[in-house]
Formats: sequence, structure tokens, C-alpha cells
Amino acid sequence: MALQGILVVELAGLAPGPFCAMVLADFGARVVRVERPGSHYDVSRLGRGKRSLALDLKQPRGAAVLRRLCARSDVLLEPFRSGVMEKLQLGPEILQRDNPRLIYARLTGFGQSGSFSRLAGHDINYLALSGVLSKIGRNGENPYAPLNLLADFAGGGLMCVLGIMMALFERTRSGKGQVIDANMVEGTAYLSSFLWKTQKSSLWEAPRGQNILDGGAPFYTTYRTADGEFMAVGAIEPQFYELLIKGCWGMLQFPSQKTA
Amino acid sequence: MALQGILVVELAGLAPGPFCAMVLADFGARVVRVERPGSHYDVSRLGRGKRSLALDLKQPRGAAVLRRLCARSDVLLEPFRSGVMEKLQLGPEILQRDNPRLIYARLTGFGQSGSFSRLAGHDINYLALSGVLPKIGRNGENPYAPLNLLADFAGGGLMCVLGIMMALFERTRSGKGQVIDANMVEGTAYLSSFLWKTQKSSLWEAPRGQNILDGGAPFYTTYRTADGEFMAVGAIEPQFYELLIKGLGLKSDELPNQMSMDDWPEMKKKFAAVFAKKTKAEWCQIFDGTDACVTPVLTLEEVVHHDHSKERGSFITNEEQSMSPRPAPLLSNTPAIPSFKRDPFVGEHTEEILDEFGFSREEIDQLKSDKIIESNKVKASL
Repeated sequence: MALQGILVVELAGLAPGPFCAMVLADFGARVVRVERPGSHYDVSRLGRGKRSLALDLKQPRGAAVLRRLCARSDVLLEPFRSGVMEKLQLGPEILQRDNPRLIYARLTGFGQSGSFSRLAGHDINYLALSGVLSKIGRNGENPYAPLNLLADFAGGGLMCVLGIMMALFERTRSGKGQVIDANMVEGTAYLSSFLWKTQKSSLWEAPRGQNILDGGAPFYTTYRTADGEFMAVGAIEPQFYELLIKGCWGMLQFPSQKTA
Repeated sequence: MALQGILVVELAGLAPGPFCAMVLADFGARVVRVERPGSHYDVSRLGRGKRSLALDLKQPRGAAVLRRLCARSDVLLEPFRSGVMEKLQLGPEILQRDNPRLIYARLTGFGQSGSFSRLAGHDINYLALSGVLPKIGRNGENPYAPLNLLADFAGGGLMCVLGIMMALFERTRSGKGQVIDANMVEGTAYLSSFLWKTQKSSLWEAPRGQNILDGGAPFYTTYRTADGEFMAVGAIEPQFYELLIKGLGLKSDELPNQMSMDDWPEMKKKFAAVFAKKTKAEWCQIFDGTDACVTPVLTLEEVVHHDHSKERGSFITNEEQSMSPRPAPLLSNTPAIPSFKRDPFVGEHTEEILDEFGFSREEIDQLKSDKIIESNKVKASL
């Protein structure tokens, strides 16, 4: 497998970190998930392919155990707010002095610096602070967060896997690890670069919920069926729209796409 | 940069492919974007850091040009429906015989096989087929696709970058390329594995729109402020919820239990009434710096000027004064260095690219006069 022989130490967190580590495990890495003694179970349910070590990091001897693990590992993935690892004497300077090849991945909501970096938050907060949430939602309604998929998993966990893969690849040339600041506010914004890049185009000229891609168009939305189920329609191009009309009404004439 | 020296050939497509290639360019790869002659401009607007070659792949001599480029490249990224590249004699067997190190990335909606694999579609269709769309939406409303972010960009473009990075890493050991089937239906499903893994848990016991994470809970949603703006509330844990209640000026002993789902509709109305009394700025005064998990819903313009982004330098400006998000994540030693230049015009670099790849002046002129390639070099201003 692609990540054969790569050793990952994952410090247990809620959803983004576990997803990131699960992807690494799926692709062949050996993942050790470090959990707090007394935890009942892995709330993330994303423990596939991992092994679990229960360790009290708050005890100096517990931190020392982690230090020994990291000395022989390729990747450390930690989800704590900025400053927490440093307080436990487990910051990157210390662990990378032990092991210069260690890739130290820090996956948080707000990042390692900045006025919000020590605050609590969840997907919806990171999505809100990224600017992206303001674009999502139906006409006349409040902005709507699509579950915790965009910030926790896409801009968070997946973006962090990307950073780790970049660092692993770069390490094959330099022989050195790096520190990765993977945070959900910036990750979600970067994922959604298209929104900033097309900000001034006609794609977003109407208020939220009235554009082509945010629920405004009759040819790009979902419809309820007779049995209470749903169909998705995404017929943007004229030749596809024609087929949509044909499928709905046979060969009858109907108003043009732009005025319908 | 992390991808220094990596050569990528991107066959122009709509949004997922261009985003994938832009990420590679941001992190240091040299990306050649191959566009159809006669294309007016890059609809994706995701051309940062790329060079543009206008080439007619449908002509056998055009396909032959691409073959020569791929013989010397690390990654080919193609967005066409299953079978199209094979018809052009540009399938993986042929290109990888020329270059066994070539990573052949195929980024589509439905994948290289399966009953839907030759059909047209868009983000909303892939999201629907993945099983994820039915989970998203408010109580009593139809499922709602969050723009084209989940399938086009997350499950599509970003997932494909991941596959390419996996293959690049693996190639440092094996010396060989691979074929990557990156498709948006499976990519979006995999991204959302959590939904399947928690399917039977209490997290999703209610119908769509009535659960904690899909808009059902009063403590995990957005509220309108007095000035028509919005605040986002994500106070799930009891200790954060307490701070939310406190900040709202409410008393928890006068409210139903946080997790009493039957009371959620009433509580939402109550919270909405409180939020409507103050402006966004006033709410930020109250909640900024606390652990109440209450943040402003910033617009694309506001976020650029927000303290947190400013302190971190989260946004970059290019030579045309347009702002966009800085590449993520941040790498300490080999950070991404996104190009400052404007996006390329179609065919702007055709001749310089072919020259670099060993085409002679005569060959280039012949291809141009036979309309296999198009060159739209920008004339230097005097």
C-alpha cells in the first residue's frame, strides 16, 4: 500500500483528527491512537485500522512515554488548542529535536495563532469565520451549515491528510520533517477558493439562495416525488436542460431556460 | 516548495480538475493547462500559477503533441467521461508505456466504470448518488446541496490531489506511476464516512433537519441579528452551552434541558428573539474571546478584514488586486508560494511550452498553421 511502513501517532480528538488518521490507516500506515484512560469509547467511530493506547498525557511520565513513541514515528497528529502541547513539554521543538524526521501535524479549528486561536469552537463556527457559510442557504432563510462536512472533514481532516502527504513527499528529498498548521477556517476557505475567484461574476450576482448554484435555479435543485422521495436536477448546459424538459414533459414546448 | 520539479499536465475541465491542478501549482508544481483552441477564457477562474497551451486533442497530430508532453511529465490530470481518452489514443496503457513513471489521474463525476459512468452530471447529481445529499437540509424542506463545494471541490478536486500525492510518494519507492480513478460520488461518500459510521447512533435518530448537526438544535445553527446579519452558534458541550446562555442574558434554570429535543423548536424561537435585539458587532463584543462557540457569519469581503485573518495573513492579494484564501495547510519548511500573477490567457504559453518540451521552431510553426495549436502570446507593452 502507498503508506506501507509509515508510523502515525494520533492523539484522540473529536472528528477531524480521527478522520485524517483513518485515511492514513486505510492507505497503509500503522496508526496508534492515544486516548485518555477512562474514555468510554471513541466518539468519532472512525477507528478503522487503528490500535489504541490509553495514556495519561497530563502526567509527566505519561508525556515521557509519548516522547519515546514520537522518537520512532513518522507522523504525530495532535488536535489540541494552540499552546496545550507546549505546556505538556511535547511541543514541536522538543519532539523534532529528538526526531528531526518527525512530521508534526497540528489540526485545529482556528490555527496556531490569531485572536481566536485559544477559543473553543465547532464546525459551524469555523465555517462562519471562513466566509463560506454566508454563501450557503435558501432564499429568505438564515445561512445553513451542511452538517459538519465542510469544516470538520473537508477543510479539516482531509486538508490535513494533504499537508501530511506533502510533508512526507518533501521529506523523501530533504530527509526532514515539518510542522503543519492545518486549521479548519483556512482549510475551508482554501477549499472554496472558487467562491472568491468568481465573486464578481454573474454566478453570484443575486442574494443568497437566488443564484444558479445555491438553490435559485429550477434546473439545479431537488424535487419531491409522489412517494415522498427526492430527485436531484443539475441540468445547467442547454443540451442537458433540453433533455430534462423532454423527460419531464415529453416533447411539449416550454419557456426558455433563462426565464423558467 | 514541496512539489518543486514536478511537472503536471492538466486537461481543461470545469471546476474539480482546475482546483486540483491549482493546489499542485500552489505547492510548487509546474502546471501546463491544455485548453481547446477557440476557448475564450478559463471558466473555472482557478488558473493561478499555471501556463496555458491551446491544443486540439481531437486531431491525431494534436493527440500526438500531448503524448510527447506526457512522456516527460510526472502527472496527467484528465476530467473526461470514461472512454474519451482511449478514443483519442491517449489512454493509460499507451501513455504509461511511453512513460512508466507517469501518474495518470482521472477525475470524473461517476468514475471509470459502472452504469452511470458515461453520463453527464454536476455536483448535485454526484452528491445525490453518494447518499450524502439526503442528510442535508432543514426540517420540512427538500434536501439542499451546499453550492458545489462538497462533490466538485472536497470529494472531487481535493480528494484527487490526495490520490496524486499518495501516488507521488509511493513512486519514490517503486519508481512507477499509477492510474487514479478519482470520482466525486465515491470521494464525497468517503469524505462523509462519519455519517455511515454513526448512522445508528442518536446523532441521526430524528428526521432530516431535526438532529443536532443538521439544524435541529437551537445551540447548533445560525441566528439573524438586529442589523440583518448573522451569528453562528455551535455550543454543543454543556460547559460551552452555559456560556452561550450567559451571553444571551438567559437563565438556564428557566429553560428546558439543553438536550430535550421536543423543546428545541420553542428554544430556537426564544434564542432568535434574543439575537434579533442586538447587532452583529454587539454580539461579537459579548462573545469574542469566550468559549461560548458563538462566532459572526462573515461575508467573503468581511473575512478579509477580520482581526483573526489579518493577524494570520490568511488572505493573499495578487497583481490584479483580487483577494483569495492563502493555500492550506501551512507547512513550516516548504510553505506553498501561490503565484502573484494574473491567470494565464488561453494559449498564452503555447509556443514557450512546446519549445521547452523539445519541439523545433519548424514543428511549432507547422502545428500553428494547421490549427492544431493556437498561440495567444501577450504582446509586451512598449
